[in-house]
Amino acid sequence: MPMIADPPDVTGYSLSGKTYTISTEENARLCASVGIAPARDGTAHPIYFYVATQVGMSETVAGLCAVCNFDVNDGPLLGGCSVEFDEPLMVDTEYAVTGEILSLTRKASKKLGIMDLLEYRLELSRNGRKVLTATNNWILPRGPAQ
Amino acid sequence: MNPKVGDALEPFRFGPINPQAMVVWSEILKDPNPIHLDVEAVKAMGLGIRRINQGPANLAYLVNGVLQSFPRARIEKIVNRFVGNVLEDDLIVVSGIMTEVEVLADGQRVACDMVLAVEGRGPAVSGTVQVFIPC
Repeated sequence: MPMIADPPDVTGYSLSGKTYTISTEENARLCASVGIAPARDGTAHPIYFYVATQVGMSETVAGLCAVCNFDVNDGPLLGGCSVEFDEPLMVDTEYAVTGEILSLTRKASKKLGIMDLLEYRLELSRNGRKVLTATNNWILPRGPAQ
Repeated sequence: MNPKVGDALEPFRFGPINPQAMVVWSEILKDPNPIHLDVEAVKAMGLGIRRINQGPANLAYLVNGVLQSFPRARIEKIVNRFVGNVLEDDLIVVSGIMTEVEVLADGQRVACDMVLAVEGRGPAVSGTVQVFIPC
């Protein structure tokens, strides 16, 4: 059985750089897809905390996996996420996306075998003021236990 | 609604999950993963015979369940885990229990333990959500 290389040291890798704007039309499409009407006060669906940070960060999911020496075709799993809002997200407002990788840690699981746990933090800000902080956790399966 | 610790939220039911909604989410997330779009790809990967809903869409249902019970609320915090899949044609139900209620000068802060379950299979998302409800 081939040895699985140690995970790379990616702590601190920057995910900053882009902006994201939630359009009124896109928010309406997303709300319709999950069975509710869009808010009438200009706030976006709260799930945009995930969409805006994930799409607006400097790497695609495939690119982020590549940074971790992981092929996106090997099936990364979104394990969980968290968010703290300082204020609601608004449509038609430009948000800056910043963030970094917090850790990439090797673990062994009976179910998934060897896996790396990737944790990264992303923030949205508007006019220099933080709007939210999100943390995502991904599972990168590396193969059966050795 | 007068929130009290131990009270249950009104269940939020949704479905059957429409694969066209997965197309919308793939476009919005810029995520072309075929497990959300192509039944044949799902079969080829040994993941079953139905397209797999995007995890963030499942979390959106869970948020809807909170906002249904607290329509004027502002979401302050969410912590969640994805513990199972939601598939096309599934029926889901979001349920919750209030675990903390804090009375403030300008409103109430309420924390809830939440679960999104697939009818007939069990939990797919679990977590906690904290909201602020203004006076």
